[in-house]
Amino acid sequence: MYHELTVWSRGIIMDKEARDVSSCIAAAARALGYYADNVSDYVDDPDRTNCLVRRYARFGDSPIVDRFVYENPHPDWVVLVEETIIKAVNFLRGTPDRGGVVVVNSVRDPDYLLKFLPGEMKAKIAKFVVVDAVGLAEQRERSPWMFVRNLSELAFDRMSTEGAEERLAIGMGIAAPLIGALTAATGELPLDAVADQVADRDAMLRGAAKYAVVDFTAAYGEPPGAADEQPGPADEQPGPADEAGSAPAAPAAHSTSAG
Amino acid sequence: MSVRGTRIPPHLQLPIAGVTPPPTEKEGQRLFPTGNFRFYRPVYRDKTPPCNNACPTGEQIQKYLDYVKHDRYLDGYLTIMQDNPMPSVTGRVCYHPCETACNRAAHDEPIGIRSVERFLGDYGLALPDDPVKAALPPLNGTTVAIVGSGPAGLACAYHLRRRGYSSVIFEALEKPGGMLRAGIPAWHLPEEILDAEITKLTRLGGIEIRCGIRAGQDISWEELRSYPATFLALGQDVGRRLPVEGIEARGVIGALEFLREAGLGRPVKVGRRVLVIGGGNTASDAARSAIRLGGGEAFIVSLESADELLIVPEDLAQARDEGVAFAPNTALVKVLSDGGHVTGAVVCNARLRKDAHGGVQPELIPGTEREVTCDTIMIAIGQVQQLEWLPGHLSDRGVITADQHGRVEGNVFVGGDVMRGPSMVVDALGDGKRAARDVDRVLTATELGSEPEVEVMPYEGLNAAYFRHAPRIEAPLAPAGERRRSQTVEVTLAYSREQAVAESDRCMSCGVCNGCDNCYIVCPDVSVMRDTRENGHYTIRTTYCKGCLVCVQECPTGCLEKVPEMDFDDPADVTRMETAFAPYDGAHAEQSAFTRQLIEETIAEYDAARTAPPGNGTTSAQPNGNPG
Repeated sequence: MYHELTVWSRGIIMDKEARDVSSCIAAAARALGYYADNVSDYVDDPDRTNCLVRRYARFGDSPIVDRFVYENPHPDWVVLVEETIIKAVNFLRGTPDRGGVVVVNSVRDPDYLLKFLPGEMKAKIAKFVVVDAVGLAEQRERSPWMFVRNLSELAFDRMSTEGAEERLAIGMGIAAPLIGALTAATGELPLDAVADQVADRDAMLRGAAKYAVVDFTAAYGEPPGAADEQPGPADEQPGPADEAGSAPAAPAAHSTSAG
Repeated sequence: MSVRGTRIPPHLQLPIAGVTPPPTEKEGQRLFPTGNFRFYRPVYRDKTPPCNNACPTGEQIQKYLDYVKHDRYLDGYLTIMQDNPMPSVTGRVCYHPCETACNRAAHDEPIGIRSVERFLGDYGLALPDDPVKAALPPLNGTTVAIVGSGPAGLACAYHLRRRGYSSVIFEALEKPGGMLRAGIPAWHLPEEILDAEITKLTRLGGIEIRCGIRAGQDISWEELRSYPATFLALGQDVGRRLPVEGIEARGVIGALEFLREAGLGRPVKVGRRVLVIGGGNTASDAARSAIRLGGGEAFIVSLESADELLIVPEDLAQARDEGVAFAPNTALVKVLSDGGHVTGAVVCNARLRKDAHGGVQPELIPGTEREVTCDTIMIAIGQVQQLEWLPGHLSDRGVITADQHGRVEGNVFVGGDVMRGPSMVVDALGDGKRAARDVDRVLTATELGSEPEVEVMPYEGLNAAYFRHAPRIEAPLAPAGERRRSQTVEVTLAYSREQAVAESDRCMSCGVCNGCDNCYIVCPDVSVMRDTRENGHYTIRTTYCKGCLVCVQECPTGCLEKVPEMDFDDPADVTRMETAFAPYDGAHAEQSAFTRQLIEETIAEYDAARTAPPGNGTTSAQPNGNPG
């Protein structure tokens, strides 16, 4: 078992949401005894408002060999924190055919979102999940976003961090329902174990309970050989979780020093 | 990594592990379609300015003010003429609902739109050739009957002509113009201006005015109905009568009749001490005309209190300047006469009481009666029309009844005062325009339809910081002493060209792009494109627009707005980027086969250049090399 999670978001104004999704999933996997890794990306220049930024997590039952490579070459879990990313980028690059679970934060109909995807991207999707994370997040009379503003205001105010108040708890706001929907739709990690890592447990469970899904595997069937494309060395034994986060990278065929 | 002009080896022009060419390079731009930053998209969408919305003819006021601002007077004149056939008339007499609605009032003072309109109208009248005539379609052979040559009838004829119809107008008086001639004094609207505007219309061809034909007497309802379509715009020219004792004495005249006789150039006489009964604009016009004719005094006796008077504010101020006295909250009780001629009147205190249905009733206060001396009494308490010649079900208390389209029955439409009661010239012009459109629709078997919904731009939608405060340029007035002496001295004078341009420059262009170039200048991503500085010539380069919305924030007029990117539902209208920072698709941190091949090719090319014989193809790589 090995999964790569790439969370796509937008610089500054919803950066923390993406960071929370990937770190909660990685922390839950680690707590469950898997090898897990979480990378806060810096190469995407997340200090530019609205620019595309990514957060990566990967976990599996074998050690993660490419410790210094932060990009997921074969993301099979993809979360889009903001719906227009549907239009913005090929977020399924490297995803195995009919192997990707895509979770989108949107109030729109899944079919409306899907019509923006070209056929070659759709061919990589196994499950297309839409969750109204903004609506399901606990607003507590405040914005569900990282900063205490609404999205419309954030779009207008490019200095949106100025004077704003950052939330320190991990798994607040719209991150929580996104984590819930991802966990429920993939079914790989127990919901309770993930919920333990999320600050807003209730919102996470609301997201797990309420999402729309278009299941491509049911409609089109598994493409032949899709299961074989799961990366990760199969001969490694599941190891203890305590050293997984900080152990130096084991030498492997795909070493970062190559090239 | 590089600057433009430097030779970049091919292997560096392409993304290699973690290094991408900057957007200053051609490939770099292709790799960075920054449009994918965007979740709101700026969109140019013109709204309706409040002036345009308030004008019954729908004049595109913002548009012609913008033309005047840029010294494009002919374009401005033609813009008005799309909606209003007589800007020289409305530029003098209109009660300017546009200025009342003007957003600039919330900023400092409303624009002097009427004066600019007059400037353009007079500019158009002075042209040697009528520019409108050249653009008219040929006549289609259908003739529409119009009753009344007032503003509604003339506007209908004009707009029908613009649609290719000819028309015949039946006018009861001996000269055309309706209330413009018979109700509005010459010191408001000089006769030669009115004549010139009417001549301008009749010269378009296809508009025939038959004077001296009164509907119901000289032409019957059946004859009118025999036309393919008919527009009834006979106005209301019969003054209401006041049932008080002694009213039949000589010297008691209707204000409307007085204005009509004066307007038609017939001899009229008034005394030196005139009482005008009524609180509206007719009362004001009659009192001011009486001062000019008789050289004496005039008093406006009204049931309304001083702040309830229905006289437009600037007319009220001008009347006071000219010495008109006001007796508010006063009612006429009895006319005193001697030998059949008025010698005075009994008046008493009174007020208007609103009843439960919203109507108003005079309430006289007993015991306050007093006598005043006067030699003329004018009655200006409203007007009706004689409509006995129409089938009974079509009229009700002096107005013709119609549906919401102004349709009486069949192809017969109605507009102006005879439909809506006493109202503004510009209301009648608007009715004429609408009637022409609707006549065209019924004659081409098109559905009448409802008026489209418009979004009016509020002041709050503008970026007011861009508009420096500037006082309104008031139209100059003739001196009050000079005005009092003559029927023909125009009270309100025209703007000079400089004044018209300066006043137009105050327009904030509410909700309509006026080509200010602000978006073009402020866009940090050079994503606003335009060829000429004109409305409709600006586009957003969506491939690169990051949706920062600086343009929306900095748009002075509010014509730019943000629309959620996901609302654009065209799957082809998508700026999708390949993952720019993951150029290779394979093993971690290994160069892709493609990149590796490029590097090898470049090395081979370099080696080949070094080993080639000198002078063969290397000179072109030398900076400033001179191969000659």
